[in-house]
Amino acid sequence: MKYDNIKEFIYEELLPNVEKPGRYIGTEWNSVHKNPETADIRFAFCFPDVYEVGMSHLGMKILYHLLNDQQDIFCERVFAPWPDMEEEMRKNGIKLFGLESRDFIDSFDFVGFTLQYEMSYTNVVNMLNLAGIPLRSGERGEGHPFIIAGGPCAYNPEPLYDIVDFFMLGEGEEQLPELMEHYRRWKSSKGTRDEFLKIAASVRGVYVPKFYSVDYNEDSTIKGIKAISGDIPGKVRKRVIKNLKGSYFPDKIVVPFIDIVHDRIMLEIFRGCTRGCRFCQAGMIYRPVREREVEELVEIADKLIQSSGYEEISLSSLSTGDFSKLNELVERLISKYQSSRVGLSLPSLRIDSISLKLIREVQKIRKSGLTFAPEAGTQRMRNVINKGVDEEDLIDSVGAAFESGYSGVKLYYMIGLPTETMEDIQGIADLTFKVVDRYYKVPKEKRGKGLNVTASASSFVPKPFTPFQWEPQDSINTLMDKQSYLQKAIKKKQITFNWHEPYVSYMEAVFARGDRKLCEVLIKAWELGCKFDGWDQYFNFGAWMQAFKETGVDPDFYTARRRELDEILPWDHINVGVTKRYLRSEYKKSLKGELTRDCRTSCTGCGINLLQEGGVCK
Amino acid sequence: MMYIRLKFTKGGEVKYISHLDLMRVFQRALRRVGIPISYSSGFNPHQEISFGAPLSLGVTSNAEYVDLKLAEPMDVKEIQKRLNNSLPDGIKIINGIEIGENHKSAMSVVSHSRYLIRIYAKNISSDELKKKIEAFAAQKDIKIMKKQPKKDFELIEIDIKPLIIYMKLIESDNDKYTIDCLLVSGSKGNLKPELLIKAFKEFSGYDIQNVRINREEVYGSKNGILLDLLEYENTQK
Repeated sequence: MKYDNIKEFIYEELLPNVEKPGRYIGTEWNSVHKNPETADIRFAFCFPDVYEVGMSHLGMKILYHLLNDQQDIFCERVFAPWPDMEEEMRKNGIKLFGLESRDFIDSFDFVGFTLQYEMSYTNVVNMLNLAGIPLRSGERGEGHPFIIAGGPCAYNPEPLYDIVDFFMLGEGEEQLPELMEHYRRWKSSKGTRDEFLKIAASVRGVYVPKFYSVDYNEDSTIKGIKAISGDIPGKVRKRVIKNLKGSYFPDKIVVPFIDIVHDRIMLEIFRGCTRGCRFCQAGMIYRPVREREVEELVEIADKLIQSSGYEEISLSSLSTGDFSKLNELVERLISKYQSSRVGLSLPSLRIDSISLKLIREVQKIRKSGLTFAPEAGTQRMRNVINKGVDEEDLIDSVGAAFESGYSGVKLYYMIGLPTETMEDIQGIADLTFKVVDRYYKVPKEKRGKGLNVTASASSFVPKPFTPFQWEPQDSINTLMDKQSYLQKAIKKKQITFNWHEPYVSYMEAVFARGDRKLCEVLIKAWELGCKFDGWDQYFNFGAWMQAFKETGVDPDFYTARRRELDEILPWDHINVGVTKRYLRSEYKKSLKGELTRDCRTSCTGCGINLLQEGGVCK
Repeated sequence: MMYIRLKFTKGGEVKYISHLDLMRVFQRALRRVGIPISYSSGFNPHQEISFGAPLSLGVTSNAEYVDLKLAEPMDVKEIQKRLNNSLPDGIKIINGIEIGENHKSAMSVVSHSRYLIRIYAKNISSDELKKKIEAFAAQKDIKIMKKQPKKDFELIEIDIKPLIIYMKLIESDNDKYTIDCLLVSGSKGNLKPELLIKAFKEFSGYDIQNVRINREEVYGSKNGILLDLLEYENTQK
């Protein structure tokens, strides 16, 4: 059998043998196709998970079009091939390719990964291997692509320090074009790889691990982290866009053929969050708060609806209810799109800010479920985590929802939070029962039929750059005890109880606060077959434990240890704006159960305003 | 209110998207270009679109059909033009007609499909293949194991002989051959061409590769005459 080229071979011979060939087609509506011959910079934007997950990610949608809007850059999407596709590719000697051109990415200029969760790290390694690119930065030479990474997990880049050439910390809308400009000049100057790394290190927010050395104490804690030469910044400051107004947002988005996780327009209404929940990394690293203006949002929504044909817009942010002009925005979108039946969804509404009016407005078009996140079951526990919400708020809000005809609500909780006792666990069951009771207080003719309350309990994972970054994580056994207690306590036919595998949470905790030593463990685990760790059917805890054993690294060092407040943490050379001093003070307050106010009311001194952009939180 | 039936192609570019994916493609394309599609009533209103016989993943077609109900009238040519600006590569509306309110849905009238199957096979002659196909089609019955998607993919043996109207070799070029076949299709019986090829492979023992299948036409049967789905509605008037 003969094929004119490899692209046709992939299409005609590999795709018929995989379960979902629609993942690899690459010609979706609004996808960008350029002539590779005329593109000076080839960029592989890699999401280290399956297509349906990666295509649901807003950041990728923004940066894909941002890069492609520059004429000389051809940015393509790459997702982790599902194992059935990977098998076909390896069997036939097909390397990892860009979805649009089906060219192998090992000849590209950049291979960039977005790091959204720790459990995708083995997929990063696997994708590099599948691309035929040497895994370690030091093994790559002239002619290899630069392997770069960004996204929330890049704020603690150390577990990938030997794999990724450089990390881009913070928001990419201005940083990426700036880097590309440097690259153009470097490329035409025919400079060396190291020269470019030096240039990159001068770009604000770029971290080149090889330019930093780490020393350790005998007890494995860190003695010091320093830049190896004077021209390298001692601390890497994250990049932020000063103002969202007028900042880049694409007027079109790729519309997938196959069903994906979030198959709708995501309209980013603001960045950052001022609530200061102490477990929440996003709430710290995405500061300061910056809103887009209603006028601009309506304009963007309009363009996206026109260009995509989507039937639903979801307002995207960390805490939708905190958007200062939410009512105005919702009213305008609804009055504009009601006749064309574009639905609106409002995820991430906080329970104290949800209003009955908004629920009713949104319901006019389409009815979706409601989600509430009390996070903990008792007031004491909620004070510790600074979730400034009380029981009355929750019960009032679900009551309002039930009275407007909703009969399905989801409740999100965490277990394993610092200072938690069995009373707090019992509190989760009690609070959930109160939600059920509230439903039955609504007159039968008024309420929706068939109450279904879903209670989800995830296991707390302490994250860097949060007030709990010094805290140990509950052991797997403790988490399991708490889960099984709760499972018994919460049993009721109207309640569906979900929980997460504590083994996965444990691994997340290892890598979230990991240091450079974990890079060896990661590569070893991959060699032992680990990949798609976020997927139950592929997660292999035994293999991970073997990887720790073979590399002589103790995972409990990262999870079970309460760190000293003056310990040098592996991410101390990264500056996210929020200061360590502030986090320390928040940590101490948490242990006393003291609340910190929402910093929209008045500044709480987190330090974000000390970044050069000045962080006026509005 | 107006009813439209459109005939479109599904080319190589989109041959791996499923029936459900195709539905979404049309829904969004219709929205992008502002075609006044009608919505069903009820709790979750949906666009009134329905397709003819589903096509297997990996099969291309020159003759797919979709029925649309419009909330207000619009010229069929205009719809065709607008949609062709809004559909992804590989999907092209090639014809369309207005159909009466009392039409039978495209799905319900399908009775037969004609396919061209292109294959690659080495070390056999054209004559040999031709005879083999004749012998295959002339069997008393043609038993094959088939997976039942609705019953946990449990295998059952079925006889596909009554579902083959004809099957013949129509072209050969070096080791490439084209087979023409007319198969029963639709709710009263359905033979997928992939299954036919599988059966023929088993029967012949040939090493058949590079199978490319294209649906040439879909028919409904009226008074024993096969009509394509546009003709079917045209003559009903």
